[in-house]
Amino acid sequence: MSNARSQPLRGKRILIAKPGLDGHDVGAKVISLALRDAGAEVIYTGLRKSPEYVARVATEEGVDAVGLSLLSGSHKELVRDVMEQLQSFHASSLPVFVGGTIPPADRDYLLGLGVKEIFTSDMRLDHIIMAVSKALA
Amino acid sequence: MPRSRNPIDRFVLGRQLTRAANASVSDILAGFSQPTSHAATRIAMTGPPGAGKSSLINRLCRRHLNAGRRVGVLAVDPTSPFTSGAILGDRVRMEDVSDHENLFIRSLASRGAHNGLADNIPELLMTMDSHEFEEVIIETVGVGQVECAVRDLVDTTVLVLNPSSGDYIQAMKAGVLEAADIIVVNKSDLAGADQIVAALHSVISGRQFARHAWMPAVLKASHQDDAGLQELDRLLAEHLDWVRAYGDPVESRRARRAYHLSTLLARRGAEVIERLTSEWLDAGLAQAFDNLVESLRGP
Repeated sequence: MSNARSQPLRGKRILIAKPGLDGHDVGAKVISLALRDAGAEVIYTGLRKSPEYVARVATEEGVDAVGLSLLSGSHKELVRDVMEQLQSFHASSLPVFVGGTIPPADRDYLLGLGVKEIFTSDMRLDHIIMAVSKALA
Repeated sequence: MPRSRNPIDRFVLGRQLTRAANASVSDILAGFSQPTSHAATRIAMTGPPGAGKSSLINRLCRRHLNAGRRVGVLAVDPTSPFTSGAILGDRVRMEDVSDHENLFIRSLASRGAHNGLADNIPELLMTMDSHEFEEVIIETVGVGQVECAVRDLVDTTVLVLNPSSGDYIQAMKAGVLEAADIIVVNKSDLAGADQIVAALHSVISGRQFARHAWMPAVLKASHQDDAGLQELDRLLAEHLDWVRAYGDPVESRRARRAYHLSTLLARRGAEVIERLTSEWLDAGLAQAFDNLVESLRGP
């Protein structure tokens, strides 16, 4: 049966987006399923989307948070562009999470852009879900 | 029909739809949204999973956007009854039009609705009407017979099948006729399409139609050619003309109202049942039912 502990994201809408030129989206799909199992309604953009499109979908779908999955190495530019685009869609208050291959040296730059949390592949899924739930509570 | 109008305000519409989707029964009864003078043409696309509904909508949208229309899509995907979560993936299959300036797509989870639609669909449609869409397409969760409910809310219902949908037709029997104005046998390049078309024609020809009644139209479509899509477009226009000429607006307004009432009642009932105490549940059935009815009026 449902309860707040097993479905901490019940009623939340979350966009999982892949900006840039990554060729695969296994990580994005794994996260999408984990978020769904935590009760969230997950909208997935598909591969190779522009920052402008990501911001537009976030607005159109009325989501509560955006997760950006980035493996390409261009995370600094892409995250900066997405944040800018969210601003131009009046959605700069949306919490943004970043996941993927993010070198420790780049963390502070991304957090400085306003990113809520950064998740990497060595983290446990339940840890990620907990962090997202806490940020959206 | 290109004409001057304001661009879609995605920010405002996005928020209005969120409010509409989340409105409680009490919010709605308190007068959540007022009907607007503009009404978009409403088309429902229904049918079993994997029939190709999203892809067909994608191609139809491209055609209508190219003609200068402003098109809205409400795409419903199922909510898991166990976790209340959902993956809303229809947008991915509409990729090549999804960034068009005259298109607005909203993905919806079915939530408490078990009829192929989502909670508060009437409110969501009314919200769309206030943004000058010429056309709103609803993609339903393809679950079987029950998605007939959508018919009461739209002008035209399109049932999308494919050559492996024989069992679906078997299960529906003459129900396919009640289910749709237009039936598309999609993926018609696959073996078996002609048999499905023949089966549908035999169901239709075994039925008497009143004078001026709309006879469900059957057509084949495939990803590989545009002829089917053109035919679908022609039939959509023809059906809309028929609705304007022979449809009964009073009757259809009443049907929409009846649908609205039944969904509100179902939601309120579910809310009440969730809160029932064990004392109530242990009472006799008739007593429990009386208590339930008593509580429907709400807090």
